[in-house]
Amino acid sequence: MTGSPDSTLFRKVVCVDLDDDSPPTDAAAALRLIQDQRSATARRLDPDARLLYWPWGVAWLVGFGLFFLRFPPGDQALAHLPGWLPLTVLFVLLAAAGATQAVVSVRAYGQVTGDSARRGQWYGYAWALGSVSVYAGLGRISEHLPHDLAALLWSATAVGLTGALHMAGGAVWLDQDLFRLGVWISVINLIGAIAGPGWHPLVVAVAGGGGMLVAGALARRRQRQRQQP
Amino acid sequence: MTELDPVIHAQARLRVVASLSALNVGDKIAFPRLQELLAMTAGNLSVHLRKLEDAGYVEISKTHRGRTPATLVGLSRRGRLAFEEYTEAIHALLDPAPSKEQP
Repeated sequence: MTGSPDSTLFRKVVCVDLDDDSPPTDAAAALRLIQDQRSATARRLDPDARLLYWPWGVAWLVGFGLFFLRFPPGDQALAHLPGWLPLTVLFVLLAAAGATQAVVSVRAYGQVTGDSARRGQWYGYAWALGSVSVYAGLGRISEHLPHDLAALLWSATAVGLTGALHMAGGAVWLDQDLFRLGVWISVINLIGAIAGPGWHPLVVAVAGGGGMLVAGALARRRQRQRQQP
Repeated sequence: MTELDPVIHAQARLRVVASLSALNVGDKIAFPRLQELLAMTAGNLSVHLRKLEDAGYVEISKTHRGRTPATLVGLSRRGRLAFEEYTEAIHALLDPAPSKEQP
């Protein structure tokens, strides 16, 4: 937050005589004090939305993009990459996105407890337990499938679960950006699944990853409007 | 004209209450983090919090995080209401009801 044009404003607010028990000079000063203090607090407690959306968008764009280039429809790879590379890159980037989200959230909300913290915690459990239970079933089926169908099954299920949980998150926090992103992910997952093996990762990379980047920019814009004093 | 709530109508306490009002309903913030947000000394903040707590506007709970004791501060329902009324009164002072100005 430091270095932003807002920081001068914040400094002005905190330099008010702190031991002063006297009332604000007039009604206008009182209103300014309220607005400045509320927006400064919101800025400090609300992490930059881009840091929550963009790392996942990049992971999908690059990870699924590489997967499409290596395993496109048909037998001919579009790029000569080692077969292990796309999934490795995808999982490394997803792990990095998760770590970024954890650090950013703890910094912002770490010292706040109560209903919000409980919501976040339960939502996290839904992701963890939901993923484990779904993938355990998939693992037992996919070994009996040909490579392209197994890949489609895994990615369509993972993307579908992500879409559903984003919608659920939107419902929990009444966050329309999050909810709309969930709807978008679910719809493009459907389109990718209909398009079939080979095409699904392309749809997820471009429309899914791109959608997350757009959603992050929109969420950031809304956040800035909300934090205007 | 409505009287302004004397508990909130002091610069330091108004800043404390305004900050706490930015938390979601049902949330509390750790004392050191609040202190950092307000850039107040611990002693000064404690004094004002006590006045707010005496008025029933602020709820303070002591708990443990692992082995370290932690003090959590949040606005009570009454405090949130009082802050909203105060803000409305300020708005009314700045912008008196337009109906009065109509001929």
